[in-house]
Amino acid sequence: MFLPAGIRNYSYAQDMAIFRTKTQWLLLGLLLLLLLALPSFLSNYWLSVCNIITITIIAATGLNILTGYCGQLSIGHAGFIAVGAYTSAILTGQMGVPFLLAMILGGLMAGLIGMLFGLPSLRVKGFYLAISTIAAQFIIMWVIKNWTNVTGGNIGLSVPTAEIFGYSFTSQASKYYLILAIAILVIFFAKNLARTRPGRAFVAIRDNDLAAQVMGINLFRYKLLAFFIGCFFAGIAGSLLAHCYYGFLNPEFFDFKESILYVGMIIIGGLGTSIGPIFGVILIRLLDSVLSLEIVPFLESHVTLFTSGWASGLKPMIFGAVIILFLILEPRGLAHRWQLFKTSYRIWPFSY
Amino acid sequence: MADLLQFTITGITVGMVYSLIAMGFVLIWKSSGVANLALGQLVLILSWITYAILVQAGLPVWLGIPIVIIIAFSMGWIIERFLLRPLIAQPILSLIAVTLGLSYFLDGLITFIWPWSVDALPRLFPQDTIHIGTAVVSQEYIWAAAISLLLFTALSLYFKYSRMGIAMRATADDQMAVQACGIPVTKIFSRSWMLACAMAAIGGILMASIGGIGHGLIDTGMKSFSVVILGGLDSFLGAMFAGPIIGLAENLGGGYLTALTWPGVKEVIPFIMIIIVMMIKPYGLFGEVRIERI
Repeated sequence: MFLPAGIRNYSYAQDMAIFRTKTQWLLLGLLLLLLLALPSFLSNYWLSVCNIITITIIAATGLNILTGYCGQLSIGHAGFIAVGAYTSAILTGQMGVPFLLAMILGGLMAGLIGMLFGLPSLRVKGFYLAISTIAAQFIIMWVIKNWTNVTGGNIGLSVPTAEIFGYSFTSQASKYYLILAIAILVIFFAKNLARTRPGRAFVAIRDNDLAAQVMGINLFRYKLLAFFIGCFFAGIAGSLLAHCYYGFLNPEFFDFKESILYVGMIIIGGLGTSIGPIFGVILIRLLDSVLSLEIVPFLESHVTLFTSGWASGLKPMIFGAVIILFLILEPRGLAHRWQLFKTSYRIWPFSY
Repeated sequence: MADLLQFTITGITVGMVYSLIAMGFVLIWKSSGVANLALGQLVLILSWITYAILVQAGLPVWLGIPIVIIIAFSMGWIIERFLLRPLIAQPILSLIAVTLGLSYFLDGLITFIWPWSVDALPRLFPQDTIHIGTAVVSQEYIWAAAISLLLFTALSLYFKYSRMGIAMRATADDQMAVQACGIPVTKIFSRSWMLACAMAAIGGILMASIGGIGHGLIDTGMKSFSVVILGGLDSFLGAMFAGPIIGLAENLGGGYLTALTWPGVKEVIPFIMIIIVMMIKPYGLFGEVRIERI
């Protein structure tokens, strides 16, 4: 098992490669095989859990670019996801635009709205920016709730199934493959973005935006670019959410609490790492489905100590506690633990 | 015309309560640089605790309210000691995120203990209406505004003359210098959280005795963010002035714009004002403009 420990590189290309040994390629192949084979041994319910996990990974990757790499905290991510979801649903449902095009347009729309609300980031930062993204969330949701003849308001909006070149994605497995393909593209893009000029500019802005500006990084351009990319992915995820997961849209899916949860997920996973959001999303979404499917109904029917309906408070309590505990005990997230594990595996049996 | 007067008076009086809650935010921000995004949830849970004490336990008001304040103090102490203390000197992102986690947790806790989610507090103030000119105003609003004003005055005096108040202002000014003078900064932090929670409790009680307990109180907390943004994050005076402005904008806008736009415009006006303020005057009316040096 050769992992990159003590290998010599003979060219820069070799040194820069993401996968540097044959073993890594092998592991990647095995992982892909596993992911592709997943539908054959999962029930429809768990497959739909996989779908929501994968969609959330796309959105969280976007938020991670914005918050983890560029340091611009956004607490309105669910609002931007809603923009993508509604744009794409309205385009396909009412104007007959093909799904793939509508998805990309949904992403672009979310990106543009994101840039609009990202404008204050040029003058303010930290808490001020967080508040302006909260405002974005509330304004977007207000428009969606009240623009009833287009969005359906609180009644909701039915969404046509995704269809590409005449093939319609109706079964859970086909939806899974579609989402997986897009997620792989997004993760690949995010992984490489960190190694390009804009990616390095984002990190410089996060670490110290004044110093970055002094070094000649155009803050205006790169902050808005970060907002655009982050919200573009949110829009793509929203479109997939509408067409491949819910099948209809309701403003309640994009609650403010959902936005908080997205921030929580990337913190639990580890900010500013490409693997982090994946870990965070899997942890939270699995916890979510296990809690709401198994534990909460069980407790609700067996423990009669409290006022009826108490168990629905458990989930937010656990999520909140998990976010707080990670911030206090492991602020670098699960990705840091994963890194520690990899290092100790590579140099085994030596301690360092 | 009666409408206009009515909206104006309601707006200003409700705005005073927003100011009171917002002052709790400013206090924490000034002394420790922590943005408390759990404000709305704190307001809500403290009103529920008031409900538990006044209605569920049936204590009289003169005994119940002081108990609520004591609970608020201890809650502030616990939050500071166990959530914020371990995160001292962490980046602002973690500080914001930990209060977000707290808001999530409190949300769950409220559902856990009071799952029915809407209820009413006993009326604390006389309900007779007052006629001011052509407007008819419920007396409760006037009481709420008067109590807020009274507390604001008391707090100003506290900051001006008491030892602890002076130490708190000093901490806000320069943390390092204060530490060098031998003032325990951590004690100041916990004191400011305790006071902020008490203000959230009083604000919550005032709002809940008028409009009942419900998720609307979280929005009240959210609206006080727009108050601090408009007034300037580090200015008590700003919070006191911006509260009535936000209340006015909200009520006048809600009164006159609902017919022109969509229902619920009242709820979104404070957020639109946030965006406008941030584009034009990001540090608010009275906030200190930060000039950064490397």
